[in-house]
Amino acid sequence: MITILALHLIAALICLAPGEHARRWTLGVATVPPLVGFVWLCTQAGAVLDGQPVVESVGWVPQIGLDLDLRLDGFALLMGLLVTGIGVLVFTYSISYFTHERAIGRMAGLLVAFAGAMLGLVLSDGLLTLFVFWELTSITSFLLIGFDDRSTAARTAAVRALLVTGMGGLCLLAGLLILGQQADTGTISQLLADAPTGAVVNAALVLVLIGAFTKSAQWPFHFWLPGAMAAPTPVSAYLHSATMVKAGIVVIARFAPAFAEAGPWRPMVVTAGVITMFVGGLGALHQQDAKLALAHGTVSQLGLLVVLFGLGTPETTFAGVVMLTAHALFKAALFLIVGIIDHGAHTRDLRRLQGLTGRLPIIATAAFLAAASMAAIPPTLGFVAKEAGLDGLIDADIGLWGVVALVGVASAAVLTVAYTGRWTWFAFRPTAPGTLDGQPGIDPARVHHPSPAFAYAPVLLAGASLVLGLVAPVVSPFFDDVAGALTQLPEDIELALWHGPTTALAVSVVVLALGAALTVYVVRRESGRQAPAGRGERAYATTYDELIHGAKRVTRYTQSGSLPAYLGIVFTTLLVIVVVALLSGIGDAGGWPWADSALQVVAAILTGLMGLSVLTARRRFTAAVLLGGTGYGLAIVFLIYGAPDLALTQFLVETITIVMFLLVLGRLPDRWAEGPRWAPSWVRILIAGSVGAAVAAFAMVISVSRTAPSVGDEYLARTVPEGGGRNSVNVTLVDFRGFDTQGEITVLAVAAVGVVNIVGVARREQRRKRLLDGTDDITDDLASDAIDRVVR
Amino acid sequence: MRRSIILTTTASGLTPVLLLVSLYVTFRGHNAPGGGFAGGLIMGTAIILRYLADGRPGIRSTRLDPVVLVAAGLGLSLITSTAPLVFGSQFMDSKLIDLDVPLIGEIHFVTAGFFDIGVHVLVVGVVMSILIAFARADDEAGTAGDDVGAAPAGGGAATPAGDGPATGTATGTSAGTSTGERP
Repeated sequence: MITILALHLIAALICLAPGEHARRWTLGVATVPPLVGFVWLCTQAGAVLDGQPVVESVGWVPQIGLDLDLRLDGFALLMGLLVTGIGVLVFTYSISYFTHERAIGRMAGLLVAFAGAMLGLVLSDGLLTLFVFWELTSITSFLLIGFDDRSTAARTAAVRALLVTGMGGLCLLAGLLILGQQADTGTISQLLADAPTGAVVNAALVLVLIGAFTKSAQWPFHFWLPGAMAAPTPVSAYLHSATMVKAGIVVIARFAPAFAEAGPWRPMVVTAGVITMFVGGLGALHQQDAKLALAHGTVSQLGLLVVLFGLGTPETTFAGVVMLTAHALFKAALFLIVGIIDHGAHTRDLRRLQGLTGRLPIIATAAFLAAASMAAIPPTLGFVAKEAGLDGLIDADIGLWGVVALVGVASAAVLTVAYTGRWTWFAFRPTAPGTLDGQPGIDPARVHHPSPAFAYAPVLLAGASLVLGLVAPVVSPFFDDVAGALTQLPEDIELALWHGPTTALAVSVVVLALGAALTVYVVRRESGRQAPAGRGERAYATTYDELIHGAKRVTRYTQSGSLPAYLGIVFTTLLVIVVVALLSGIGDAGGWPWADSALQVVAAILTGLMGLSVLTARRRFTAAVLLGGTGYGLAIVFLIYGAPDLALTQFLVETITIVMFLLVLGRLPDRWAEGPRWAPSWVRILIAGSVGAAVAAFAMVISVSRTAPSVGDEYLARTVPEGGGRNSVNVTLVDFRGFDTQGEITVLAVAAVGVVNIVGVARREQRRKRLLDGTDDITDDLASDAIDRVVR
Repeated sequence: MRRSIILTTTASGLTPVLLLVSLYVTFRGHNAPGGGFAGGLIMGTAIILRYLADGRPGIRSTRLDPVVLVAAGLGLSLITSTAPLVFGSQFMDSKLIDLDVPLIGEIHFVTAGFFDIGVHVLVVGVVMSILIAFARADDEAGTAGDDVGAAPAGGGAATPAGDGPATGTATGTSAGTSTGERP
């Protein structure tokens, strides 16, 4: 399993490596890992469905119990097959879709990276592993939504999706950590096998649910999903219909059987799910953009899945599994069809589409099948799934929330039928005379046909929606085993097209009839108004603005931009810490050696003199050079103690520091500036003097306060045999403590990039100012002056 | 900016020596005082010296973006520290290699040496990045007369009248030299 995940990563790197030079072959590369994953999952299917999960665990940070735990059970198998299978279809479809895109390599790399993250997510068994993959899907999805980085709308949508799902991710992390702590385990399987209870657990579950709701676009966090439609259509088809939005569902599906009885669980999932179904369904009825209409439909369907899985009874879980599969199939198909229409007709505005049924008969047939599955019309898989769901809800004996769920699901299903009918009618209506709402209709004759490579994916998906429904009893054992991985199923549960005259069937018939009536009504009075921004979206905008303004206010208050103020605060804090440490009596302050050799005294006097003369220096330049001199004095002390490495480095660093100082000093006035009014000279002298004294005292005290044995001897002994070198300092730096060095040079690299950018920003601002003023800044002359002085 | 001929001459003579010394210090680091950090700093000092001697055009005309050096150094050290994982060893595990090369003799090498080379490259890149950032900023400020054609608008205004032509020529030469001798 880890190999397959690694394969995704490698493919992503291969796709990203050529940068802007990448061509469409990268999408071919991207198809390989999901294909391999799909085949591998198929080979494992037999054993896994028999109830023998494949488990893999790799130590990651074993010290804190963080392992890469992967577990392939029945449910993970189904999700894995959907992620990889739909992945292969979408990726091959993309090859035909992206004909003129720039940055195609980035698209391919991000898609396959996302596919890997999602596969990892469905396979994870470790609580923290789950979180890591969860965040990876958030990040890759952020990059994919904002793929068109020149579009403000895309960037805004991407940030919104990232903020909402990122916030949810943090909630999830907190929830998972608490649950792990309470159950004293790091894996989901153990947590579920022995589910903890109590008030703390309830709080943790609320957090987990919030995380799941954000990811699966549940009310009140649903608003990011329609915005995410700014992404290219294949991305929307893959991420925002079939896979990523199922991440929250996966968590709910896994946790519900064990935790559904816990206090807040059912009220939360039923409330959020039912409201989401209505919000999404009503939203879908208003959209003029074929893709947006489907996106709102997805929101609604996700609400249904949350309710089905969230209730946690065996019957609803079973129905949820079937519904999840049906939804992935028909929604991916419909999105891909919208992409084909968009490609051929250059619009996906429902008001303009017409005559496509005659022009694209195969695509239209596929769309009808997928739509039938979405509206739960027999004999599709969607119908079978909804029947099972209604059955489960009717049979569920869980009191009030079960009833609320049933009523909610049944009435939302009417909406589903209506928005599906409306979508299908407008997308594939016959050529209508005249125009609608002043929008000119497209000319169907000019819509070009998709190539077979372009069209096969949605046709296959739509066909599966039909076939799986027809052979429901045959595939029933498969879904049995999948749901069996989540919960204990009763024996007699099975899928069927015809259950006989049951209550569920009656509900279905009523729903279909009402839905059809609503469709006709909606289509007749199609108003063409764009749906207003939802309340969630407005709340998001307000919160976002307030957050930014608040941050600005806090920054203005705490960051005055005054160097004396910063230094004053830093030094005063240091003073307090050092003095408290000294007064609390760390170590025994006694037996200070005054000097080890006469040479040291000389070095100390030299250093001290230079330090004192810094105080009397009248020019910044003199002060900088003298400060460098104290550094040289220190280097001499190192040398006397027999640390040539340290001395060498100290010399070099001081030299370079002086030059760097000069580069900066060139930009400042030559003489010292007057101090700020709030800190007269006596205050500054007081702070500086006491910090100096305290640090000196501290240095002396700690030099005689060692309690632990020195590691030096051990390192010295290990240098030659283990490090293979005779310079113990160097071996320590690059080998024994190489990890530290790695961190330090990383800091160095970041600092360099930071300096370059800060100077660059200042440069640009200066240029702008000069352009505005038409004059040069006088301080610029000082830069050349300072360097000039060194040269002479 | 007035230029010292003594410094310019000394710097061109010293640069190759300093570059060699810096490499020497880096490579001897495993057995004697030195190492990647010190070696990198020496190379940085050499570059700074050339900067001081030749003025801005020399370093500004460097075509290599020093951030690439920073990235390369960091990358090399990262590869060195993670490579053992691929071979089933611990992170940052160092391996001793003794090669018996004909004619040259026995070569004793430690994989951690690559880490040190990475540090060296990175330090050079850091020094150069900062130097070039400031040099470019000064360039655009357009103060000095030695900006050959770089800042036609600002250059003339800020240069003392008599100084302009002379330095202009000198810079033209030194810029050419430094590009040629770029390490």
